[in-house]
Amino acid sequence: MTANGTAARADQIWKVYGTGEAQVAALRGVSVTFARSMYTAIMGPSGSGKSTLMHCLAGLDTVDAGTVWVGDTKVTGLGDAGLTQLRRDRIGFIFQQYNLLPTLSAEENITLPLAIAGRKPDPEWYATVIGTVGLEDRLHHRPSELSGGQQQRVACARALVSRPEVIFADEPTGNLDSRSGNEVLTFLRDSVRRFGQTIVMVTHDPNAASYADRVVFLVDGQIVDELASPTAAAVLDQMKRLDTHA
Amino acid sequence: MLRAMLRGLLSHKLRLLLSALAVVLGTMFMSAAFVAGDTMAKGFEQLFATVNENLDVQVTARNDAPESEQGSEIVTAFVDRATADRLENVPGVADATPHVSTDGARVVGKNGKVVASNGPPRFGIGWVEGDPLIQLRDGEAPDAPDEIAINAGLAKTTGYRVGDLVDVITLQPRRTFRLAGIFGYPGGRDSLGGETTVAFPMATAQQLMLGAPGKYTNVDVQADPGVSDVDLKRRVQAEVGPGYVVKTREETARDQASDVQGFITVLKGGLTGFALVGLFTGAFLIFNTFSMLVAQRTRELALYRSFGAGRWQVNRAVLAESVLFGLVASTVGLILGIGVGWLLRKLLESFANTSLPVTGVVVRPYVVVITLLVGTLFTVLAALIPALRASRVAPIAAMRDAATPDRPLGRLTAIGAVVFAVGVLLLGLKLTGTTKGALWPMLGGGAALAFLGVAMLAPAISRPVTGLFGRLFGRSMPGRLGTRNTGRNPRRTAVTAAALMIGVTLATGAGVFAASAKSGISDVFANDLNAQLIVGVDFATGGTGGFLPSKVDQMKAVPGVETAMALQGDNVLLGDRNAFVSATDLAAARVIFEMEPEGGELRPLSTGELVVDEDTARTRGWQVGDTVPMRTARGGDYTERVVGIYRKNNVVSGALVSPADAATFRTPYAQQGFVKVADDGQVGAVEARLDNLFADNPEVTVSDQSALIAQSSRFLDVVLTILNVLLGLTILVAVLGVINTLLLSIFERTREIGLVRAIGMSRTQLGRMITVESILISVFGVLLGIVAGVALGIAIVQAVGGEFLHLTIPWWYLAVTFALAFVAGVLAAILPAIRAARLNVLEAIAYE
Repeated sequence: MTANGTAARADQIWKVYGTGEAQVAALRGVSVTFARSMYTAIMGPSGSGKSTLMHCLAGLDTVDAGTVWVGDTKVTGLGDAGLTQLRRDRIGFIFQQYNLLPTLSAEENITLPLAIAGRKPDPEWYATVIGTVGLEDRLHHRPSELSGGQQQRVACARALVSRPEVIFADEPTGNLDSRSGNEVLTFLRDSVRRFGQTIVMVTHDPNAASYADRVVFLVDGQIVDELASPTAAAVLDQMKRLDTHA
Repeated sequence: MLRAMLRGLLSHKLRLLLSALAVVLGTMFMSAAFVAGDTMAKGFEQLFATVNENLDVQVTARNDAPESEQGSEIVTAFVDRATADRLENVPGVADATPHVSTDGARVVGKNGKVVASNGPPRFGIGWVEGDPLIQLRDGEAPDAPDEIAINAGLAKTTGYRVGDLVDVITLQPRRTFRLAGIFGYPGGRDSLGGETTVAFPMATAQQLMLGAPGKYTNVDVQADPGVSDVDLKRRVQAEVGPGYVVKTREETARDQASDVQGFITVLKGGLTGFALVGLFTGAFLIFNTFSMLVAQRTRELALYRSFGAGRWQVNRAVLAESVLFGLVASTVGLILGIGVGWLLRKLLESFANTSLPVTGVVVRPYVVVITLLVGTLFTVLAALIPALRASRVAPIAAMRDAATPDRPLGRLTAIGAVVFAVGVLLLGLKLTGTTKGALWPMLGGGAALAFLGVAMLAPAISRPVTGLFGRLFGRSMPGRLGTRNTGRNPRRTAVTAAALMIGVTLATGAGVFAASAKSGISDVFANDLNAQLIVGVDFATGGTGGFLPSKVDQMKAVPGVETAMALQGDNVLLGDRNAFVSATDLAAARVIFEMEPEGGELRPLSTGELVVDEDTARTRGWQVGDTVPMRTARGGDYTERVVGIYRKNNVVSGALVSPADAATFRTPYAQQGFVKVADDGQVGAVEARLDNLFADNPEVTVSDQSALIAQSSRFLDVVLTILNVLLGLTILVAVLGVINTLLLSIFERTREIGLVRAIGMSRTQLGRMITVESILISVFGVLLGIVAGVALGIAIVQAVGGEFLHLTIPWWYLAVTFALAFVAGVLAAILPAIRAARLNVLEAIAYE
């Protein structure tokens, strides 16, 4: 696989919590590759290590063994400054809790990563992003004046606006009703299809996973299976099977 | 329930520590002042007990002449030998010894300068053979008229040894003596209380120190065994009659200690005042801390309420917390204060060049009670409103999200305006002298209310002001976020800033006053004094020195001098009251002071004639031609006729008399001389010639006006510096408050910090964001303080008024204060910024 086609990659990574008797391995030698311009969902039951995997890939957490790559950059071993720069310039985040800054307007929240980096948004791209998430008339509202779905769309726009190499989304629909959730998922899929964005999404919702191009299944800190072009039914089916195995 | 709540309280250690520190600092200052004062009082008590060990009753001559601020230890009414002899025969008297002991013996050191005194007198005494108080250590008693002995403390500071030649200035000018002996005091002491003592043979002492051969200053009487002091006093008084004052040992010691007691009272009062200001500042910090603790524990409190805890129970629990908190902090403050009190005592002792005969420190029970009481009271009062708010938490809040929306500021602003108005009214009434009544409670209470009022008004203006200053930090994201965060909780920002305001207001007010005084003084000298050169007594040499007025003739004869004059002043009894009167040559004074007649004439005065300014004439009801009796310190009685009344004048005021009538003033010296030089270009040359003329007098210096102005400015600067150092305590407490607020903000915004870090904010940028918030709070507080302080300064200058105050705003001083706000902001941000930087991004973003 060429570096050109890979957005992020984990190579035999281990993550262990605690010591001695209380030791728990969250990741046990996980190797996985995320291709560019693909929408990948990471699925698995609670405690399977899917969130840990995402955190390690995104440089929010460190691994105990193995190597993580984003593009052609080796993430493992980077210091705080290096990780900060990586997150700032090459990674986007979407969280379950939206995590908008209450003092900033929607517009300011969206451009926050660029402002932190001291860059101006590309006006054309900015207009495209705003248009896609459908927030034109809400830009000057504070987060407290927006609905949950609107807030999460702001968060999505914030992740997209700096055109990161990869966006990590952690249960982005976990706090939303199904209609708002579907809107956000559609929007994420569109950004992959139309703009070639790479997205890695952690979820336990088969419906959410069905929007992805590919689903990776994680059980007990190991990748056990994957599906290409999944449907909700197929994902659910697979999950049931994994549950009984576990 | 209380125990459960205390556990909650203890979970916020760092924040509690900062608030506690505020109380600790305040109570420490207070107890230190008490402890140092009491210890010194005890020390002086024991000191005077030693001094008076060998007398049971002391007899001095009654003196109706008024006391003077300077040279109050100079004795001007005397006892004669016959009185002492008569007392020997009074039944019950074992021994009656006459002594000479009075202030005013100034030793010239090896460097040619007069040995300075920082307050204690410089005694000249007559040697009394066998005096148990004086213990010869080296050499022998002074026998010949040109011999002296000095106390060991003086010998140590000057480095003089037996056999050296030593110059001493007394009532007579500088004279050279041979140092015959060095003596100490009982208990191996070099000095009693920092004083210096020169012992002359008795006849010499009478001549030089009293100007009265054969006279004494006092007779020390010892009782036969079994005769009480009070009994002895009655018998002695009966013998000597009403012309003499008879005091028991106890009364003597009390009088001797009264000067020192006055100083100690001022010291205790002043430091306690600063301690109270510090505690008042700390109260803002405590208010913030308890408000935050209550807000954070809303869920917890609601849970108690839903379990059935009553409002009063919640209220009481929070108050109990504050009592405990106040007690612990005050106790720590008290203990530290005892240590600081000991240090303070050592400092004052080294300043006064003495060591007091008391070991350790004196801690009286009232100090413990007052310190703990005041410290706890401030804490509880500050926690009162948060406690009430806690009791209003509804049980349903346990089920809701803890975040409460911003309450509107309207009501608070309205109440603040009223409180502020009442405070300003109190201050105004007192400053303009409209009302009588307790000065300090009204000033202090008025100021406290005004501060509280501003603190309540501040939230309404905090957002616009901090927003405006936030623009200084440009459009960078950390700067913008910091600015927004500052405006987020206007109440908290305002209370934090208001704490900073208090110290800054007082410092700024003092700065405005000092600047106004400085410019007033220099304007007066520059505009109203028609003399280029001034001969003055160096303050450091003490108040008893000067030059003989007869020197004026020599000054006038100096080439280049147009005219010269001397002012010899003293407190006298003029008519029915104490007045400061100056003797001078009116012909020269008219020119130099630019005096204008209002009535009568301003001609050279003969004995028994005086002139007076129009204001004094009016208040006394004197007309030209009236006569008024004058009694001087050394018992001169004169009848003065008012021959002239002069117009109000900035450089001279009060009554002026003929030099002939000053012969019986306390000292024979003039304290000030003024010289008008004919040609401005010659001032430097004339100054050099005058310097030459006064070369043998180490107590006076010749200087131009600028030196005199600089000297008075220097005094103001010293006062201002001391004030600022003490107010620094208050500002330190307030900076602790800023740290406290920032720590809380970080704690509350853990998730936001996690987010901005996750999307790429570096630790440096995060630190900048927090620093901006810190600077904005500090700048807001200092700005409030500067505005309030300038207003206060203007109010005081207007209220005091007078020619020596020209309202001047010290822009430089304000600019430096403002700059310090930035520094304080940056410093206060360090700890919070480190804390924020250390937050684990992942944990922070998942923080509930």
